[in-house]
Amino acid sequence: MDNILLGLTNVLTLMNILAIIGGTAIGLFVGAMPGLSATMAIAILLPLTFGLPPATGISMLASLYLAAMYGGSIAAILIRTPGTPAAAATVLDGYPMSQKGQAGKALGFSLVASLVGGLISSIALLTVAPILGGIALKFGPVELFAVAVLGLTMIGSLSQGSPIKGLLAGVVGVMIAMVGMDAISGAPRFTFGNIQLYSGIPFVVALIGLFSIPQAIRLIEKDQELIKPGSIKDKMLPSFKELKSMWVTMIRSSFIGIFTGLIPGTGGDTACWFGYNEAKRFSKHKEKFGTGYPEGIVAAEAANNAVVGGALIPTLALGIPGSSATAILMGGLMVHGIMPGPTLMTQYADVTYTLIWALFLANFAMFGVGLLFTRVSVSVTKVPNKVLGPIIIILSVIGAFSINNNIFNVYQMLGFGLLGYFMDKVKIPSAPMIIGMILGMMLDNSFNQSLMMSQGDYFVFFKNPISATLLAIAAFSLLQATPLFRFIRRKIKNKVA
Amino acid sequence: MSKKRNHILVVVLIVALMLTFTACASQTAAPAPAPEESKYPEKAISVLIGFNPGGGSDQLAQLANPFLYKYLEVSVSNIYKPGATGAIAWTELAKQSKNDGYTISVTNTPMLMTNYIMNDDITYNIDELTPLVNVLTDPGVIVVGKDSPFKTYEDFAKAVEENPGTVTVGNSGTGGDDFFTTLIWEKASGLKVQMVPFQGDGPSYQAAQGGKIDASFTNLGVVYGQVQAGNVRILATFTNERSGLVPDVPTMKELGFDVVAGSSRGYSAPKGIPDDAKAALIEAFEKTFKDPEFLANIAKLGQEPDIMIGDDYAKYLKDSETEFINIWNEVKDQVK
Repeated sequence: MDNILLGLTNVLTLMNILAIIGGTAIGLFVGAMPGLSATMAIAILLPLTFGLPPATGISMLASLYLAAMYGGSIAAILIRTPGTPAAAATVLDGYPMSQKGQAGKALGFSLVASLVGGLISSIALLTVAPILGGIALKFGPVELFAVAVLGLTMIGSLSQGSPIKGLLAGVVGVMIAMVGMDAISGAPRFTFGNIQLYSGIPFVVALIGLFSIPQAIRLIEKDQELIKPGSIKDKMLPSFKELKSMWVTMIRSSFIGIFTGLIPGTGGDTACWFGYNEAKRFSKHKEKFGTGYPEGIVAAEAANNAVVGGALIPTLALGIPGSSATAILMGGLMVHGIMPGPTLMTQYADVTYTLIWALFLANFAMFGVGLLFTRVSVSVTKVPNKVLGPIIIILSVIGAFSINNNIFNVYQMLGFGLLGYFMDKVKIPSAPMIIGMILGMMLDNSFNQSLMMSQGDYFVFFKNPISATLLAIAAFSLLQATPLFRFIRRKIKNKVA
Repeated sequence: MSKKRNHILVVVLIVALMLTFTACASQTAAPAPAPEESKYPEKAISVLIGFNPGGGSDQLAQLANPFLYKYLEVSVSNIYKPGATGAIAWTELAKQSKNDGYTISVTNTPMLMTNYIMNDDITYNIDELTPLVNVLTDPGVIVVGKDSPFKTYEDFAKAVEENPGTVTVGNSGTGGDDFFTTLIWEKASGLKVQMVPFQGDGPSYQAAQGGKIDASFTNLGVVYGQVQAGNVRILATFTNERSGLVPDVPTMKELGFDVVAGSSRGYSAPKGIPDDAKAALIEAFEKTFKDPEFLANIAKLGQEPDIMIGDDYAKYLKDSETEFINIWNEVKDQVK
């Protein structure tokens, strides 16, 4: 308790508050720029914080991480390009809303959902970090395999229209994830003798290519004014009445975000899809999702902001980073001479609790800065398509290059761009491909590791309670999409009617 | 708002973004103060890092750069070229970088050698480099979770002996230091375990900490924080002498097996750099290693310095290379 209060008094200095607001502003801006992820921004800014005291520097980066999660939705809503991987699901309902002339409202929903998600996860971080942290260790290879399988079942519900095309894209995604050195045998796979492919295809490279380039080409092709979302004529802040119906979704997504963040290796990019998918599953208006339905935005945005607090729980309580961005934050702590690990909560409690409070305050900074900045950002959509298209391509090139300072990644990105463009032409969705890429690696490694641990016994997945439960949910979610279930559902409906 | 004004706004936004990038880039590449007398160094020195920012190589470089700056009086900046467990950066160092002494790289064992020993596509080798200094070695250790039935190394060895090939032991990845340490230890002790490769040291020791696997071969610096917090237990270290960080833990030598292993980080330059450049670099490193502030920072990372200079470092790399080639030739058929 003393430590919690100590952290609060530490954070309330001019320097720290300025760092939080500064980090938030940079985060919003970086998040709004397609191709620049929060992870990248933290990595780029990390060296600049070395001159600051540890708590201030790390607080600034954590605020940036949080704000970038909201910032990502701005580009997703306005130009159909997720500003960060975590905003990919926001595109589905955000862009249709802005086409309907409700860009302001879509952004408002996103901002409020981000605030709620961020606050709930900050509170979770502050109160239950030491307790919740233990869960992370319960997830070994066997459990991770089940998580990956459950994740893959999401492909079914993400393929709008044709499940076959969705599965095709998903399978290609899993295959792309196999590129590189096999972690189990050390053998290179699909590398064709090129060492640039040894560490696989960076996920961000594929994401930038698949989401940004086709959009840029489409803009240039159309060569006409985009349907303007209007200069936020509609009020940004949703009314209390509009929000009332979404509390359940917001809170559900927040908890999904916290837990997704908690599991090592998964972050906002996974959480937004989980949040979106669960909201759709529980909704009475499934058909409205994907057509510009505010609840879709709220579900994705609350989840990806909640990831921040969730991912910091194992990072701070155990020294196990819950996401790639927190892994870099941890690197930052180490550069400041602070050893990550359980001692963070005891030996370095002053820094740790200052950071937690900073994150809490950053939510409000994000809300304020978001209200101001978002209105400015609408201008992006007023640029003629011919100008906007090349700008997106330039930013994508910069983004792809900055990941590893490697021109090879730029070629890869452009390759994915063309692939995405042709997939779009033949109506194959790209979202399942992304899911396949995210989960393919985890699926492959955890499967092999599990079998090595069980001496080749396949039943290991069913003997473990956590994985058995997750696999059962996955099976149920698959069955739900079969004709059998549709038949049962119709029967029940008829009875009720 | 008029359309024109919006255009201007967008341009301003983009310029601001570009400035941010430039600012970030120029932060590290600040112009170097010109030295007055000696010929080397006259301009900024680049350090190629073959891994992501925040990783072990980056940590070392971030710690050492200010001291190199102090003693060489030119700016020293990192260039990150991650990929293929460092092979992209080291291939560039060996094949493409000018051998003028202005490009050096953090070189890690065993990856520096195992990369090309295990993969024909990777074509550089240590004969194309000028090894400068080794800075630290993170010693190999055997850890178990705090609830593990293995209280001592003897408990562990007994269980392995009674159940050959079924006790699960994690490592940081096939081809990594812990992978080779396990093989060397198996050969020395005649025991056989079920190796489980993970992606990195973290997942490996965490699986042992959570009781998912029986033990993990990892590194002292990686688990030191967890040891202090009482979450994991070290059964033995692969060091010459007991480590000052964990003085109560026996070394593998004391237990009767002459196995010393770990993961080292040092610096190398391309082959054939000018003699004065090599001498100046080594001198700056020697001064750095005597700087108490530098040593204190190394200790904070849970690391102990393991200084090897010039030819000593070159010999160490060459000896390790021979050892890894022998081990790999023995096991490669069963792994692949």
